[in-house]
Amino acid sequence: MNETIRVCWMYHNIMDLYGDKGNMMVLSARCKARGIHCEIETMEIGQPCDLCSYDLLFFGGGADREQSLLIHDLLQRKEQIASAMAQNTFIVLICGGYQLFGQYYIAADGTKINGLQFFDYYTEAAGNYKRCIGNIAIQAHLDDQEFTLVGFENHGGQTRNVAHPLGKVLSGFGNNAVDHYEGFYNGQVLGTYMHGPLFPKNPEIVDFVIYKCLKRHQPNLKYTDLAPLDDTLEYQAKTCMLKRLEIG
Amino acid sequence: MKLIAILIAKCASFILTKIQRGGSFPGQLALRICPDLLSKLTIPCDIIVVSGTNGKTSTSNMIADLFQFHQQRVISNRKGDNLKEGITTTLLNACSITGRFRGDIVVLEVDELNVPYIIKHLPVTYVVITNFFRDQLDRSQEMEQLIRKIETALVSFQGVLLLNGDDPNVVRIADQTPQAKVVYFRAERCSTASEQSEEASEGKFCPRCDAPLVYQYYQYSHIGSFHCCKCHFQSPQSAYCASDIVVDQGRFQVLCQQYQAPVPSLYSIYNCMAVIALCDLFHLPATLPQTVFAQTKQPAGRNETFYWQNQCYTLNLVKNPTGANEVLKTIELDSSPKALMIVLNDHAQDGTDVSWIYDAQFERALALSTQFIVCSGRRAYDMALRIKYAGYQGELLVQESIQAALDTLYARPMRSYLIATYTALAPLRNAMRKEEH
Repeated sequence: MNETIRVCWMYHNIMDLYGDKGNMMVLSARCKARGIHCEIETMEIGQPCDLCSYDLLFFGGGADREQSLLIHDLLQRKEQIASAMAQNTFIVLICGGYQLFGQYYIAADGTKINGLQFFDYYTEAAGNYKRCIGNIAIQAHLDDQEFTLVGFENHGGQTRNVAHPLGKVLSGFGNNAVDHYEGFYNGQVLGTYMHGPLFPKNPEIVDFVIYKCLKRHQPNLKYTDLAPLDDTLEYQAKTCMLKRLEIG
Repeated sequence: MKLIAILIAKCASFILTKIQRGGSFPGQLALRICPDLLSKLTIPCDIIVVSGTNGKTSTSNMIADLFQFHQQRVISNRKGDNLKEGITTTLLNACSITGRFRGDIVVLEVDELNVPYIIKHLPVTYVVITNFFRDQLDRSQEMEQLIRKIETALVSFQGVLLLNGDDPNVVRIADQTPQAKVVYFRAERCSTASEQSEEASEGKFCPRCDAPLVYQYYQYSHIGSFHCCKCHFQSPQSAYCASDIVVDQGRFQVLCQQYQAPVPSLYSIYNCMAVIALCDLFHLPATLPQTVFAQTKQPAGRNETFYWQNQCYTLNLVKNPTGANEVLKTIELDSSPKALMIVLNDHAQDGTDVSWIYDAQFERALALSTQFIVCSGRRAYDMALRIKYAGYQGELLVQESIQAALDTLYARPMRSYLIATYTALAPLRNAMRKEEH
């Protein structure tokens, strides 16, 4: 089978704060190991780009300054992103990218940045809460799958009013310092504060993303249809962190 | 209060020295008793502060040597205790009980986040800034916030600001310091410079107008010759410039004088430039810096060599992607069969966020000549995954314990390179020393 997934790595050159390029590295390697062709294209500010033509949009994290520099460009692409969603393009958003798909983001210096407003959640600077920093583990629910994910979070922004969280926090903060829920997932858009980067220690979620991308062309595909890989190291890394966080 | 604080700190320092412990505890104690103690000290000489992301310890120690070789009594935190507590300890040790100061010049390495505190409490006369790279993000938060804090601290600074003119993150500080006398040092384009950069994560936008910065060339990371595509922000005229650079030999020239950097690398040449500039600003003999460079002992874990079974083992401390890349470039140049050991810890001093390993180009050290790699430390498995996903084809081993990892490495003696994060350095050095004797 000649399978290809096409990925657009949005604002790759400025939204790459926390080793997010590691996610693309792992996605590409896990596709390659299965004979799936993974084409990763990048998109910069001002660069013409047909977002509907991709199976996956990936949008990483950046500092406040970077977010305010790209927001004008991002808002101009709103209709395109909406139409990509209508055509079942899967979307992975980390940290800053996650915040910008919501209603608005209030930065540490009080500046309000309006987001794409696809979803009801919004993000405000930490205020009385401390910056959420540290290792994090969550129990994630994605469609009919359940995964334990580990990562590192580092965000001042407190995201509230998340209708469909990605999962329940086992250790760490998550969306904000109060709720004990992390991220956002609605079957098509996955937003999270987890970096570290997220993909290397969580092969299940990478495979889930690959499955979602392939399913766009093969509606009958199941998650379990993906060929298993040798993930010994990956699970050792995950177990090591879970042990440290004193989780099962 | 001041006298009691000094007295107690001195007692603590005396006892700690007797039991062969040093560090920042006496200063911590003194600041607890008298929080504004530093403002109350009378320091009647020049105070030079050295800060920046990389090269602080080396640069600061060479500056201290410069004055010492000129027969001056130098007070300096040479061991790199660069937080306010460590600096307080250093200064108190140089004071009499009454707070009278015994020294001709003070040279302080200061952690970037501690610069505002030090500027506020001490009559600093010179500030040297080496560079600003992405460092431990969990600690220093974001680069932009860090630079703004330092700019704010220097707003009314009236001394000399000695800046790296090839780093836009450093050059921008001059915009916010109208009262300072700003002096730049830089290096001419060297043979390893390039028009494109895969490793520059900073310096993408103009700090004045947010338009993209254009680089004529990159020396390494985001250090190079730049100008804004819209406004007048650009590489400044530098009073001190290294020319005729031979990078792999560390040779360069400034104002017709030949120099040889202690380490044959570009970052070492930049460190030397700060020393040469200060030497000139203080009207010391122009031949003095070379004497300093020739006698400079590299701090622990900077290209430090050990021998085992007649094989050379080179140890390097890495703290951030830029520092790691410079180390990885030297490993890349060595095409002989070799082994690698990487110790990745995630204590507060290492940075609890290890995602920076994906910003460092470990790919450079993974050629076929690299026979095997041992990953160690608290995040040994994270490191191993980084190597795996970089596409390494050789043998990849994981030993969380440093001693076990070193045993694995020594079991097959060959030319080896060891890389360790901050808290792994001391235990690894001790283990290597023990084996050597």
